[in-house]
Amino acid sequence: MKKGRWGEYLFIYPAVIFMLLLIGYPLIYNIILSFQDVDLNSLATGDKHFVWFDNYKALADQDGFGISVWNTIVYTLGSVVFQVVIGFLLALFFSMKFKLASFLRGVVMISWLIPLTITALLYKFMMGSGEGIFNQMLMGIGFIDDPIQWLSNPDIALWSVIIANIWVGIPFNMLLLSTGLSNLPEDVYESASLDGANWFQKLFKITIPLLRPVLLVVLMLGFIYTFKVFDLVFVMTGGGPINSTEVLSTIAYRLSFNEFQFSLGAAAANILFIILLFVSVIYLFMINKDEEA
Amino acid sequence: MQRRKEWMLNSLGILFVLIFLFPVYWMIITAFKSQSEIFQSTPTFWPKDFQFTSFIDIFKDNVGQYFLNSFMIAGLATILVLVLAVPSAYGLARFKVKGKNPMILLFLVTQMLPATVILTPLFIVFNNLSLLNTYWGPVLTCATLGVPFSVLILRTFFLGIPKELEEAASIDGCGRFRTFIRVIVPISYPSIVVCAAISFFFSWGDLIFSMTFNRNQDLWPLTAGIYNAIGRYGIEWNDLMAFATVSVLPVIVIFVILQKQLVKGLVSGSIK
Repeated sequence: MKKGRWGEYLFIYPAVIFMLLLIGYPLIYNIILSFQDVDLNSLATGDKHFVWFDNYKALADQDGFGISVWNTIVYTLGSVVFQVVIGFLLALFFSMKFKLASFLRGVVMISWLIPLTITALLYKFMMGSGEGIFNQMLMGIGFIDDPIQWLSNPDIALWSVIIANIWVGIPFNMLLLSTGLSNLPEDVYESASLDGANWFQKLFKITIPLLRPVLLVVLMLGFIYTFKVFDLVFVMTGGGPINSTEVLSTIAYRLSFNEFQFSLGAAAANILFIILLFVSVIYLFMINKDEEA
Repeated sequence: MQRRKEWMLNSLGILFVLIFLFPVYWMIITAFKSQSEIFQSTPTFWPKDFQFTSFIDIFKDNVGQYFLNSFMIAGLATILVLVLAVPSAYGLARFKVKGKNPMILLFLVTQMLPATVILTPLFIVFNNLSLLNTYWGPVLTCATLGVPFSVLILRTFFLGIPKELEEAASIDGCGRFRTFIRVIVPISYPSIVVCAAISFFFSWGDLIFSMTFNRNQDLWPLTAGIYNAIGRYGIEWNDLMAFATVSVLPVIVIFVILQKQLVKGLVSGSIK
């Protein structure tokens, strides 16, 4: 009997221990680090004394930190809202029964699978002010007279990165919402048609209310995955011009690995973590409630 | 009437997909253009004369090595994911062990963590263990992306397998481990392949782990190589796009082969 138990643990535990060592331990270490004063020098000498909340205070005074929090929020909300709305419209379109629907819906997934570094480079190219295809096309059809400085105008740059991120996220949102749509009961629509409801009435009175749980999950997941953005911003703009696209993860990275102020970087990453943890707990609570219902 | 509607929906769908995937098309054809053609004021949607020089250029510039590194890192990380996740998912689906729900929760939560949170501590730990500038840094960390995802997908799958299968095997004298290897793994093959593919994609796309843990360029994957090339190549977009095309190729090939299973797997892995 005892031997059997051991066998069972041998199945389960290696993966759990692996995750605890590579995620759990660093997570706690990161919190400790953010209360200490560790840079490249103290790493070599081993002098890690505690300064408690000094790093967090220093962070608040750090150039670009405030704006990075604001940018992360704008970036996340901007991306998620458009991804979900466009993804939902496309899911509605592809839920109509035509021959190529499921094939085309699958092909679109390619944009989600391309490494983010490549996507970032590709959009950087297309958003070039002179040779970029975006400006060439917009000027070609006479929509604009002068080229848009997609990535070098501080007022626009964040939205340019958001556009690239929306492109990446649409297929995934569409896929999840399509699955939600295909699980809706058909008889409700039939009786609504008999009562003479039109397309819009069905959409707002039946589809959206019935889809609410799935929509909430998609919104939360979108928030969680977008909030920790790194690659796209890092490769497209590197946080510039003048901090206009700096987000929490890029500033944390810059502090730790360009300026080697490890404790300051850890503190910035921790703030990102705390916000995400908060949202994740709400999300987990929501899906738990769903399962009980 | 019905046929006309069908025809219209199909055309509309194709039109949308063409517009949506235009950036991918643009990437590939730019790789075959000459530098002067790229900088023409009117864009050409098909290269005037097809050139392979960009591909030759980038392979002279170490892309072969980057490609190999990407394969090593993604391949090793994927193997590690499968070795850890398949038995764990099976155990969490079948055995009555203490702390099962907290462990499932652990996998759910770790999936949502930002890489930046573990980056600085792991840099220090790997430095102390002399793991910086080896394949191990990115391999171990990339595996943390695939393990929780795979455990959650596979657990759902294993829950759906009828218990009678294992009971029959155990009557035939198979131990728990032999039953798992001989009976469970073979019938779960399609789901395992999906997890393998997705773990491979996750690791193939990693930039931050390799860039942080490996300063040695000879160990860089394609993503780190291309990030570094952006500065060096400047506006030689045909070379950069050739680089990008080579980096995307394996992803597209795997996707085309496994499209149906992948789409299904992604849904079940994210909703649960």
